[in-house]
Amino acid sequence: MRISIENFTKSFGDTTVIEDMSLEIGDGEMLALLGPSGCGKSTTLFAICGIHRMNAGRLLFGDADVTEVSSQKRNVGVVFQNYALYPHMNVYENIAFPLKVRKESRAEVDRKVQEIADLVHIGELLQRRPVQLSGGQQQRVALARALIRKPDILLLDEPLANLDAKLRLEMRSEIRRIQLATGITAVLVTHDQVEAMSMCDRIAIMDKGRIVQLSTPKDMYENPSSAFVAGFLGNPPIAFLEGTVADGGFRLANSRVTLPVPSGIELPGDGAPIRFGVRPEFFQPGNPLKVSGKVSFVEIQGREELYDVTLENGAVLRSIQAQSAGFRLGEDVSWGIAQDKVLAFGPDGNRL
Amino acid sequence: MRRAHLLGLGFLSPALAIILMLFLIPVLLTVMFSFTNMSTATGISGGAYEINAASLRKLSDAGAQESFVETLGKEAFVVDDAGITAAAAAYGEQFANEVGSQMLGERFDSRRDLERAFRKLKSRPRSTRDIKKAADLFKRSVLNVRFETAGGLLDAVTGNGIEMTPDQQELLTKTIYTGWTWTSDNFALMAQIPYVWRVAGNTLMYVVLTLAASVGLGLFLAITTFYLPSGTATTFRAIWFFPRILPNVIFVLMWKWLAWDTGFLSSLLGNFGVPPRNWMLDTGANAWVFIVLINGIVGASLGMILFGSAIKSIPQSMLHASEVDGASRWQQIRYIILPQLRWPIMFICAYSTLSLLTSFEYILLSTDGGPGGATEVWSLMAFHTALDNYAGNLQYGLGAAMALMLVIVGILASLVYLRIFNFNDLVAKPRIEQ
Repeated sequence: MRISIENFTKSFGDTTVIEDMSLEIGDGEMLALLGPSGCGKSTTLFAICGIHRMNAGRLLFGDADVTEVSSQKRNVGVVFQNYALYPHMNVYENIAFPLKVRKESRAEVDRKVQEIADLVHIGELLQRRPVQLSGGQQQRVALARALIRKPDILLLDEPLANLDAKLRLEMRSEIRRIQLATGITAVLVTHDQVEAMSMCDRIAIMDKGRIVQLSTPKDMYENPSSAFVAGFLGNPPIAFLEGTVADGGFRLANSRVTLPVPSGIELPGDGAPIRFGVRPEFFQPGNPLKVSGKVSFVEIQGREELYDVTLENGAVLRSIQAQSAGFRLGEDVSWGIAQDKVLAFGPDGNRL
Repeated sequence: MRRAHLLGLGFLSPALAIILMLFLIPVLLTVMFSFTNMSTATGISGGAYEINAASLRKLSDAGAQESFVETLGKEAFVVDDAGITAAAAAYGEQFANEVGSQMLGERFDSRRDLERAFRKLKSRPRSTRDIKKAADLFKRSVLNVRFETAGGLLDAVTGNGIEMTPDQQELLTKTIYTGWTWTSDNFALMAQIPYVWRVAGNTLMYVVLTLAASVGLGLFLAITTFYLPSGTATTFRAIWFFPRILPNVIFVLMWKWLAWDTGFLSSLLGNFGVPPRNWMLDTGANAWVFIVLINGIVGASLGMILFGSAIKSIPQSMLHASEVDGASRWQQIRYIILPQLRWPIMFICAYSTLSLLTSFEYILLSTDGGPGGATEVWSLMAFHTALDNYAGNLQYGLGAAMALMLVIVGILASLVYLRIFNFNDLVAKPRIEQ
């Protein structure tokens, strides 16, 4: 079901957390609300499920205005960060709870619980208590409970934050598989860009209560609208070079080095401060536009190796290279930037 | 023993002293008293042996033969050395010698018989009046004489020429002793008195109803204040906590003002033509309503605090989850909050049962067990029997036996509770990671 948030404002006391936000989420789409903590992404999620009331604005599910509808009647499934399983009920009772409060018949409940438990692969755990389950199993129970009454919308609040790294990888694809299997409209709240990029159709990056950019993962990665977005996506993160406009080129700060500016970029006037963003995969020994520096950090990750190169003016560029490149700490290197992949940002942080 | 151990013992000693002084010694004394027949009549120090009208009645109640009791109660006239010496002083050696030689050791059931025997003597006093007086010198009776020991009494009785079997001796000394004795009769007596059974029923009713009222009200307050804005909730909790910090006497006095025949209720209902009356003591049912309300409201404050903090410790997200799962307020309370209050509720029930069994101060102050014993509970009955008896005879022994029953029930209940609550689990190391 389509979700439309129109001019949503939310404040707690005197603090306005979200101001005049509008967002459209398509039917069957999975959208990530991505941002640092305190950016208002969880607040938005709680407003969608009705736990928080909106101070201003409208919320539509499909064509129905649900702004004033209580959370009990919105038919939204939510998976909470700590799963919020009911400790005094076993897995079966937990999953069946949304049906129980609707007083559905026993046979019906049995059938549905079995069906959903099979979908999330916990069919044999139904008699256990939540404390007897591993984190990943609890996560699956929470998903099953959220999905059992066929909600119009599935909301996931940091669903992977409490899992260890290996489980996180597994559950990432599991959640996506289940979302695709059920065709449900889903909103994922996360501060982890990898989760957002790997699981979702689109990402809405939020900062200080506003949506900074809304796009597909690939487009957002390649065409970030601001330095904030560029810095948020990608691991290892993008490296920024500070500098000024000089003679139609980019003069590095505290340096005589001037780099050519990629075509199609409208530069401000001479002397204006701008920034170049260079992603690690576009700073490689083989590229033509060379800059020199000293290797100041090496991290061997097995399949690939990470290097930090400190330039003469103190700026740092990152590089990620295939294994066995074999550079050592303190080595003087002269590697090249892929010129057409450079992202340029103006003094206000916006993309040029 | 290491110094550290001594130090630990030192820190522990105040607690040990308190347990000893305020628990073990009173319990031991209670056990001791419960096996005596101490009362105001017996006193708590020793007693004496005395045959009088009352003790003779007791003797025949205790199953002594009627003839035996009659003999004891009768005056007898015995010709013995003491009488002869007295006669010699009053009526001359001659008369005394004659009596001594002819009648020594004889026993007469009445003065007339003795007089008749005197008249046969030559040296008898001349006037009838003197003969009567002389006969009185030989009057021997154990009536209304105090003997410090059983032996003294028995000697006196035998000295009067009354023959007793060993059984009769034992029965006599046992029955007429005025001091306290060791006995286990108190327990049999308790089981026989119908009033005691009625009080046992009252106690059960008191505990169940008060518990239900305080837990119910405590839950209601905890849940309602949980859903209120925090400022309002704090105000309400403070108000409901008043009864507990108010002195008991003042709290009950306010209830009495409410219920008196010139009090608030009567004045208010007077406007509608209801005749004034003492609403608290009017009928047994009314008294129960007040007892349960007074105790329930005091008890509710503890439940409110305990349940309130337990509800607060339920993660917020769990309540949110139940809301988006579609649970109404009522279903949220029924399925999420109440099940997680299981332990605090059980704890309050266990704790309150024990304290309700032994506490009677609010009943004492409000109805004092009335009207007509309708609200008398076990602990109050023990208090009344032992320390505040309307008839004036305080039965310490019986009262102690009643109190001992409470101690036993309390200890048994504690053991059951410790088992239910699994004491070892409670004192186990906390498991922070769930």
